[in-house]
Amino acid sequence: MASAFASQVFSRRHLIQAMAGAIGVTDETAMRRPGKAPLLEEKSLPQTTAATPPGPVRWLQKATFGFTQGDYAAFYSLPGANDDLRWQSWVSQQLNPAAISDTACDARLAGAGFTTLGKTLPQLWAQHRVDNYTTRMQPIAEIECATSIRAIYSNRQLYEVMADFWHDHFSTFGWDYDGGPVFVHYDRDVIRPNVFGNFRTLLEAVCKSTTMMYYLDLQASTVAGPNENYARELIELHTLGAENYAGVMDPQDPSLPVGISGDGTSARLKYVDEDVYESTRVLTGWTIKNGHWQYPADNDGTFIFRDAESWHDRFTKYVLNRRFAPDQGQQDGFKLFDTLASHPGTANFIARKLCRRFVGDNPPSSLVTSIAQLFMSTWQAPDQLKQVTQAILLSNEFKTSWGTKVKRPFNAVIGALRGAGADFTPTLASYGSGTWSTKDEVNSRLQQTGQRKFYWPAPNGYPDTAAAWSSSGSLAMTWKMLVRLTEIHKEVGYDDTRPYLIDIIGLTNGAVAAGSRTAVNIVNYWCDRLLGFRPEPTYTKAVDYLRQNAAATEVLTLNEVWAGGSSPNLKNHYTQSRLRATVALIMCSPDALRR
Amino acid sequence: MFNRRDFLKTSAAGGSALALAGTSRLGFAATTANSYDTLVVVYLRGGMDALTLLSPGGSNSNRAAYETARPSLKVPLSGTGAGLAIAADQWRLHPRAAPLRDLFTASKLAIVLGSGMPAPVTRSHFDAQINMEVGLAGQSSGMGWLTRALASANLPPTVQIPAVSAGSITSTALLGSTESITLGSGADFRIDSGSWAWNVEPDFRTTAPPGARGIFSMLPELWGGSDPLEAAGRQALDALNVIKPIDFGAYAPANGAVYPDTDFARQLKMLAQLIKRDVGLRVCTVDLGGWDTHDGQGNPASSYDYFGNKVEELAKGLAAFYTDLNGVGANNYAATTSVVTMSEFGRRVRENDDGGTDHGYGSIMLALGGAVNGGQMYGTFGGLTTAQLFEGADVQVTTDYRRVLSEALIRRLRNPNVYYAFPTYSAYAPLGVFQGTDLPPQNYDRIFGNGFQ
Repeated sequence: MASAFASQVFSRRHLIQAMAGAIGVTDETAMRRPGKAPLLEEKSLPQTTAATPPGPVRWLQKATFGFTQGDYAAFYSLPGANDDLRWQSWVSQQLNPAAISDTACDARLAGAGFTTLGKTLPQLWAQHRVDNYTTRMQPIAEIECATSIRAIYSNRQLYEVMADFWHDHFSTFGWDYDGGPVFVHYDRDVIRPNVFGNFRTLLEAVCKSTTMMYYLDLQASTVAGPNENYARELIELHTLGAENYAGVMDPQDPSLPVGISGDGTSARLKYVDEDVYESTRVLTGWTIKNGHWQYPADNDGTFIFRDAESWHDRFTKYVLNRRFAPDQGQQDGFKLFDTLASHPGTANFIARKLCRRFVGDNPPSSLVTSIAQLFMSTWQAPDQLKQVTQAILLSNEFKTSWGTKVKRPFNAVIGALRGAGADFTPTLASYGSGTWSTKDEVNSRLQQTGQRKFYWPAPNGYPDTAAAWSSSGSLAMTWKMLVRLTEIHKEVGYDDTRPYLIDIIGLTNGAVAAGSRTAVNIVNYWCDRLLGFRPEPTYTKAVDYLRQNAAATEVLTLNEVWAGGSSPNLKNHYTQSRLRATVALIMCSPDALRR
Repeated sequence: MFNRRDFLKTSAAGGSALALAGTSRLGFAATTANSYDTLVVVYLRGGMDALTLLSPGGSNSNRAAYETARPSLKVPLSGTGAGLAIAADQWRLHPRAAPLRDLFTASKLAIVLGSGMPAPVTRSHFDAQINMEVGLAGQSSGMGWLTRALASANLPPTVQIPAVSAGSITSTALLGSTESITLGSGADFRIDSGSWAWNVEPDFRTTAPPGARGIFSMLPELWGGSDPLEAAGRQALDALNVIKPIDFGAYAPANGAVYPDTDFARQLKMLAQLIKRDVGLRVCTVDLGGWDTHDGQGNPASSYDYFGNKVEELAKGLAAFYTDLNGVGANNYAATTSVVTMSEFGRRVRENDDGGTDHGYGSIMLALGGAVNGGQMYGTFGGLTTAQLFEGADVQVTTDYRRVLSEALIRRLRNPNVYYAFPTYSAYAPLGVFQGTDLPPQNYDRIFGNGFQ
């Protein structure tokens, strides 16, 4: 196999073929256990094609946190004579988020009672880096709430999706003891301003951030006590990627290829362990004003470069065959970030990751190559990431692919809340009180699915492959949560008169006139609302479930009464609950979960 | 068709007789609970610092080099935080690993020195984990070694749950398996979150009008398509069906076992319950993360001992699991359950200036179970002088991790297809960690793979 890591992004079918090739086997069906239907090959089943929604529905599903009727209507009011031109307008509009009015989302954020989101880094440092755990973690707790609010309600959907992507790429554990108190800074000042900006700028901002400085120990790395943790992940996860790691090798080994970087000069294409150690030396002295015993007065949590002899390694270093002259101080670090950000390996690694997000687990290499070329040629452009994101979203591969991915659990849940028009403003109203709130339930159930935001412990970020999120555990817990979304109240309690998070009955009554509330009309409404089309068999199964023994065109009475007993009549049995269950079924259908 | 259960009973009896002859371990009970073995692979993610879990003891010639390399992290020989001497004080287990020391003394725990992946050498967590768990020595395939072990095991279709990956996301070792269940919490693993009135049989409630169906029983009708997502969905629905009848809440650990209040222990407890229910569990994976101690690793001699907390979590969890399974006669599940721990690499011999250690190479593996030839060390230790170290910095890998796992496959799971599980592996020879008979190691003949027909 060409690349040791390419197969990580293969589809399941490709995987088994690659596997068979690797071990000299061609009969892939032999993987099955007798009598047990295999997952990867199901030749006995008719090869059906997944129902495919119309283009704009597909595009909105993939470029936002989930399709909504509002977005769909707005799409059709955009300039353009056809869907392709309207899509160009949509992408252009979304790439300039500041110009998009977001008053409803802003109002929710403003009304949520958050108190840390506006604090400066020194304020966060002074006020939250304390022993009291509740106070200490309030900033990450508020970011977690705000992130959900924005994902559901912001009109700047592409911006939110890309903020999610870059948080994954530069993943830190949100509840890290040192990172949690300053996480507002990381989200607001480090990731978000650069989402459509320049990768080189983002890279340096992440390095200097208090959150990353602690998460990967760079703040403590000095010439006397170097710590390689950050430097290793900087190359392996943030820039060149493991696909360009040659392992423990002599950097002068003649077998290691050399190429031309985006800055026009040559660099070794694969990195070895020496590059990690040399980069560690380069970045010694990059630290945080954290009241270090040598500088007790410097204690506001902000970045500082310390050039003192005991902090920064002043001697010559070599990274990727490039010489770093002695006594260059902080320039060493700037040069390292230039080297990495302009490197072809970085361009390929990032391009493939972006294509994996938007096109599929195994994106066509032609697309990856063209995106990588754009990434590298624009590496100094202030709007590099805007250009790159735009190129992917306007590509034919993006527009025609469908069903190559499964929505990750956070996406699935937020998508359901968006599509169904939920009224959900997670806040810290009961934070630290020991009282269980709806927000706590949602976060806890997300944790069970495997994707509570900012909860991935390792620096490689949440996986972004269909295989990772198609496990029995993740799918089952996602279903469980989606079903629960149709029953959960805005406030926790046993009183069923509390308003639901999703007002399924109210929305149905509002949309379908009293005399026409048939199973068909109601399911029409919810399929269109949640999925943007009426795929089979989901549509018919939902109609059958809702109508029970009534005709599909019989008007239903939406009640909550027992219709069992001696002469059960299911069509009248708890119809309101049944309608909520019907909506849950649509939310749990493969049509709602694929993208 | 050949009765697989009888066949396994026969071979298990033969195996134990030979094991008795070979090792004179008369404590090995002939009566066991399950007719097949379960292998539990515990992955210590982050690169566990083996030299702190197991440091050179007072009679070990490497002690001086260890103390020099680890001035602030070293586990002392005496006083507060002194290591627990084993193997005639050649080695010291971390003081927070007392339950492991007790299991070692009782000959239920074995330690393999210098374990790891000989090549390619990588100090990347993610590279190393994938290489080891895929089992292809540097070639990735998206299919784990346990997936191939399972696929070549000739299990009959009646086996309910042959494999469990504990957690929300499938471990790489079981990636691509069509019959593994990824299970975070058994008690939560059911779709019972819908409307009260329609949460009905065959889902959960029984008092409903005849014909009423719950959401859970409807889902299969939506997931009947042939694309990979829907196939995965059906696998998840299968898993839900199998787990649904099990009352995890009512489970009472046996033999006085006390599981600590940690995710790791909760998952082991869940596995113990599944083992006791005889659902056919052959392999399971459990993760314990948090070992990437680049700074503030702590020291058992001081009040701050981060690493010690992790060790205690590991030791208490494993000890509770073993105790729970270690009944007598028909309750002796420990005799057919083996635990193996592994980590992607050991850590640099020399500590760094942040009170931590950076990525290294050679590590150790632990093997625990009633059928483990415990109380002894296996493999060799490469030594700690600079000349002895890999690249002058790391403990050498002297035991291929695949050798240990292959032995577990052959002697315990009775699966000789170790060259299929580890396609680039060759020249397997048992270390003797596990009791059981040997089978010639082989690749898996896929054409005649259904060997009992």
